[in-house]
Amino acid sequence: MSALSLGSHRPGRLLSLIALRIRREVLEWSGTWWFLLTLVVQAALGPLIGMFVWSAVYPADSYVATYYVTLLLVTVMTESFEQHTFSEKIYDGTISHDLLRPQPVVVDVIGANLAIRIWLTAMGIPLALLAGWAFGVSLSWASVLVAVPLVVLGGVLRFCWVFLLSLTAFWTERVHAIAGFGWTLTSLLGGTIAPLAFLPGPLRDVGQLLPFYPMLGLPADVAAGRVHGLAPVLTGIAMQGVWIAVFAVCAVLLWRAGIRRYTVVGA
Amino acid sequence: MTAVVVEDLCMTYRAPVRESGWKATLGSVFNRQYRDVPAVQHVSFALRPGEVVGFIGPNGAGKTTTMKILSGLLHATSGQVRVLGHSPWQRRSDFLRRIAFIRGSQPVGGSQELTVLDTLRYQRLLYEVPPAEFQQNLDELTALLELGELLPRQLRALSLGEKMRAGLALSLVYRPEVMFLDEPTLGLDVTGATTMRRFVAQYAERTGATVLLTSHYMADVATLCPRLVLIDKGRIQYDGKLDELAAKLSPYKLVRLTAPGADERRLREAGELVESSDGTWVLRVPRADVARTTARLLTELDVADLSVEEAPLEAVIDQAYREGVG
Repeated sequence: MSALSLGSHRPGRLLSLIALRIRREVLEWSGTWWFLLTLVVQAALGPLIGMFVWSAVYPADSYVATYYVTLLLVTVMTESFEQHTFSEKIYDGTISHDLLRPQPVVVDVIGANLAIRIWLTAMGIPLALLAGWAFGVSLSWASVLVAVPLVVLGGVLRFCWVFLLSLTAFWTERVHAIAGFGWTLTSLLGGTIAPLAFLPGPLRDVGQLLPFYPMLGLPADVAAGRVHGLAPVLTGIAMQGVWIAVFAVCAVLLWRAGIRRYTVVGA
Repeated sequence: MTAVVVEDLCMTYRAPVRESGWKATLGSVFNRQYRDVPAVQHVSFALRPGEVVGFIGPNGAGKTTTMKILSGLLHATSGQVRVLGHSPWQRRSDFLRRIAFIRGSQPVGGSQELTVLDTLRYQRLLYEVPPAEFQQNLDELTALLELGELLPRQLRALSLGEKMRAGLALSLVYRPEVMFLDEPTLGLDVTGATTMRRFVAQYAERTGATVLLTSHYMADVATLCPRLVLIDKGRIQYDGKLDELAAKLSPYKLVRLTAPGADERRLREAGELVESSDGTWVLRVPRADVARTTARLLTELDVADLSVEEAPLEAVIDQAYREGVG
């Protein structure tokens, strides 16, 4: 069907198509590893600046460096560039090629996203280790393991958010400005500019309800050992699940409207 | 039995419009105005399995829009379309596996960094072609399209002609039953265009595929398509045999004769003299008079050579575009 709906496809085939796409994208991106390196640097810049600034403000608080090293890793592992990998296809019309392939269009989008993340993670880990070593950060394995599902869900959530914004390309040619605004919100309320705990009370309360902290700050906080006990972790996972559902439903609705515009109005 | 059925097909685009100037610009922020642009109007035709049909018309006639509707890229405003028993706009996987839409302007989609062979293998998995069948198809395509040298090269590094050959291989490696070819020889040199035509003809003959082809190059149509569908301003103007269109639009034939000592006055009596050089003359003669005129010329003149030709196809089609088929 024309929609994002995956219902008419066997789950096994969908997974193998995504795996196939990842393999293809990894191969493709291997030719431009230097470009990926610039993406890693760009992604790491926010957490590193945050670390320098807040370490200067709170030099005795070891939480700052630990949080920002884990945030650096979470950031590179969850980066999403659908405004480039997907929206540009709408602009140059090459999405028509994807629409004529016997698979849901979103399979290619997911495959490209995961392939880029694999590269960024591989390049980001040495950077995080270096930053951790420089600032004397030590992590507990237990906290890191507990953070794994939150990082995965945070990655899904961030993908859904950026993909949702990228779908506006069906209506406007200013998708990069829209995605840039989304990035600003994510940086401000997701815990990059400042850890959520450092924000003023009302902003912190709002931030905890919005989807941005579950994307970045929450997994980083859990990995840094800042979150104690199972209950807040489960609450965080539930929060991630709710926002993923909300964004996924919105993405499907926006896709249907967008593809209708593309195929009916001829836009 | 039909492969493609189109009944009373209409497609209307909705285009934003506004007057020039500040007032109109500000007004359009609050009250956007649109105009309906009919691209395809009440088009009907059918293609039998294995038929190779030329779909021609001037720029903006509605050819590409119709092709997009038939392949599932556009949802028609009204009318019925069935391709291999499917409604194309639903773009079901079992439909998409059986068709190919190849555009000369964008012969290869997707990532350009991979090699042609990697991309072909990706197609195999995507279209679930059994390995043995894939290898057989690949060998055949490699031979027909002279792909051997292209297989290890990256798509982005191919020339236009090479991209078109690669694009054809990528689209045909899963053996589609219906091919929509939109300007397949666009921008190709003489050799490239000839290779393309030869390949399409061979593929259609070997596999029994149905082909609908648009082209502005009459050589494509004349070489490949016994049947012609002519569309203009969104409406079908002609649907029938190519030679019948020529006969309908051009009630004359050209008689080309070489008669070095011929008297020009006597030639002019036989027909309208349209060309002469070095003892070779070209006369325009009404179709009904061709037999009588050639017999007379052969009797009365010392003719070294004589041939009867149809008017050039370009001239016929140009006339059809300008004056209609009538």
